[in-house]
Amino acid sequence: MFKIIAAFVAGIAFTAVLAWNAMGGLMFNERVSPFGVEETVARIQHNIQDTGNGWVLSGLRNPASAVQATGGNTLPVMMVEACSTQYSKPILNEDAVRFLSILMPCKISVYKKNDGKTYIGTMNAGLMGKMFGPLVGDVMGQVATDQQKFLVMDPNKPAPPLIKPQPAASGGGGGGGGGGC
Amino acid sequence: MATLTVAGTLALWNAAASDAPAAEAKDGPAAVQKRQPDSLELRAARTTADHGKFEALQQDFKSGPEVTKACLSCHTEAGKQLLKTKHWQWEWRNPENNQLLGKRHVINNFCTATASNEAFCAACHIGYGMKDKNFDFTNEENVDCLVCHDTTGDYKKLPGLAGHPAYQQMEYPPKSGRQVPGVDLQDIAQRVGVTTRASCGACHFLGGGGDAVKHGDLDTSLKNPKRYLDVHMDANGLNFSCGTCHATEGHNIPGSRYTPTGKDAVAHHIRGKVDSSNPTTCQSCHGLKPHSDDSIITAKLNEHTDKIACQTCHIPQFARGGKPTKMTWDWSTAGRLKDGKPFKLKDSAGHDSYATIKGSFTYEADVIPEYQWINGKVKYTLLGDPVNTDGVTEINHYFGSAEDGLSRIWPVKVFRGKQPYDLETKSLLVPHTAVAYGESDSSAFWTNFKWEAALKAGSDYVGRPFGGKFDFVATSMTWPITHMVAPKEDALSCTQCHSKSGRLQGVSGIYMPGRDSTGWLDAIGWLAALGTLIGVLGHGALRIYMARKAG
Repeated sequence: MFKIIAAFVAGIAFTAVLAWNAMGGLMFNERVSPFGVEETVARIQHNIQDTGNGWVLSGLRNPASAVQATGGNTLPVMMVEACSTQYSKPILNEDAVRFLSILMPCKISVYKKNDGKTYIGTMNAGLMGKMFGPLVGDVMGQVATDQQKFLVMDPNKPAPPLIKPQPAASGGGGGGGGGGC
Repeated sequence: MATLTVAGTLALWNAAASDAPAAEAKDGPAAVQKRQPDSLELRAARTTADHGKFEALQQDFKSGPEVTKACLSCHTEAGKQLLKTKHWQWEWRNPENNQLLGKRHVINNFCTATASNEAFCAACHIGYGMKDKNFDFTNEENVDCLVCHDTTGDYKKLPGLAGHPAYQQMEYPPKSGRQVPGVDLQDIAQRVGVTTRASCGACHFLGGGGDAVKHGDLDTSLKNPKRYLDVHMDANGLNFSCGTCHATEGHNIPGSRYTPTGKDAVAHHIRGKVDSSNPTTCQSCHGLKPHSDDSIITAKLNEHTDKIACQTCHIPQFARGGKPTKMTWDWSTAGRLKDGKPFKLKDSAGHDSYATIKGSFTYEADVIPEYQWINGKVKYTLLGDPVNTDGVTEINHYFGSAEDGLSRIWPVKVFRGKQPYDLETKSLLVPHTAVAYGESDSSAFWTNFKWEAALKAGSDYVGRPFGGKFDFVATSMTWPITHMVAPKEDALSCTQCHSKSGRLQGVSGIYMPGRDSTGWLDAIGWLAALGTLIGVLGHGALRIYMARKAG
């Protein structure tokens, strides 16, 4: 009997360690872009605008510039922010999951690595949503579907212009917003 | 058409016009309080002469040469010194291989060649009146003192004016409707001073037809750089001018890609010591062991300096100042018209990705360099030299290897393109592209977009045969990277090179732990580790077994 319980506990521990190690990779996705940083950002921005479902660009942040301001260097990083009230409203209206506003707006990170390639980093919205009940799971599942459309990189389409953020109206951080949550 | 023909020149002019105040304004009041005197103020405090008080400069100058004449009335030897320099001659013979180099002779894969285009290209010659190959290189009064010694930022030489600035307000580019003010020669002459980053950068930041285009590590962001961009030129820090490293004697400016120093074994430049070595190397100030011996790691870094150029670790990327550099240029697509007219296309960042007058381009910022061994010897593909029609023709080839004892691994920008070559002679061709301001020339490519006429005119000009058959060949040009030195905390980390897919994965001739491995040695290591694990587990199991047996 002891052996069975010990084996069961050992199995749980082993699974927990495996899950812990895999968690990062499951929650976030990374893929290589065939284009440079700015063109990748521009294509994502235009894809977002073309997706419909209430999606609007709400900001474009450049965390690398903040590092430069403190005298340091980092490779380019740009964060495209987008929001759809169609998806944010049901979550923001539910007290039990309102804390998930911390995940808003939806962010897609575009960055260069030391291999010289451009990468796209996204949150695994579908999987994350399932952790917070049926309401959030359903909404985030739809977000995940739209997110795939954001990331379509069609080399047959000419490079679109980067959409530069409007200056923020007042107060608060940079990035500026054309709209959003 | 004329507007587009010289549209690139307007970009040059605009880039040169961007200056410090705008950058400072963004920094806000706190930054202004912290600001230290700039290089100009510091030097003004050290100078012993106020040129505004010189009688020779109390004139209503009508032209540049008149200013030069006044300068030479006091600086009697300066003109003679200038006439011997590469900056003036645009010509230099490489003693290693006897190649005749310099802008008069080399052909590159940017704008290709100055020959037949002198009136345009002379905007970056330190002389007046170079409208063609008959320019008088022996006349001191043709020297342009102001282009290097201007401190106002108002002195600008415009492409197409054969090295002259606009002396009066003029429409520039022609038929554009834009008015360019004439320069105030008297004011500029009375406020001359030592060279600055801005004065050197007036040409060197704008090489290849625009800001940041050519070098990758030189652009207008270096006029007033912050620390992250260059620790030496940091405007609020060390504030080096170009001349701090390019220590000049008799107007002869050391440091050139024609004569690079792959590995400096001389180290410090000591005052008074007769020394013909290159004063622009890192070692000339930092020595051969620049890292402290306080720790094992930094001491280990000193063991790298014989094989790794300082720049390799300390310039992690180039074009880091927010100005993307041109990485490719395909001339073969030039000449396309839309509705019978020349046109441009833009990339996502707003830079030209296509222009009828020049072809297709790509730009990139924060570029990860390529790396190669360089020992200081270089060979150019010149007019008449054969091209590689089956692959890529190297415009310049830097020699070097792990074995020669003279080389170190350097970061480089490799600029790739396609340019015209003669199908019969199998050598590069000079296109006649540009015309002088206000002139018309039907053979110039930027006027009528006809390759055959432009190549015929260019070939005739340089005395080369051209039978009318041409194509485009892939070319590459290598630029060692040496500016935009990052703060030491941003230097490459060990694993950025010592890994399978690290920065130096393509560099041969050395064994690098982390990058290189030997199969049988790795197998022994893994077997040893596995054996240890089996031994520990077996030993433990035996202990348990023996304990139970005994109990």
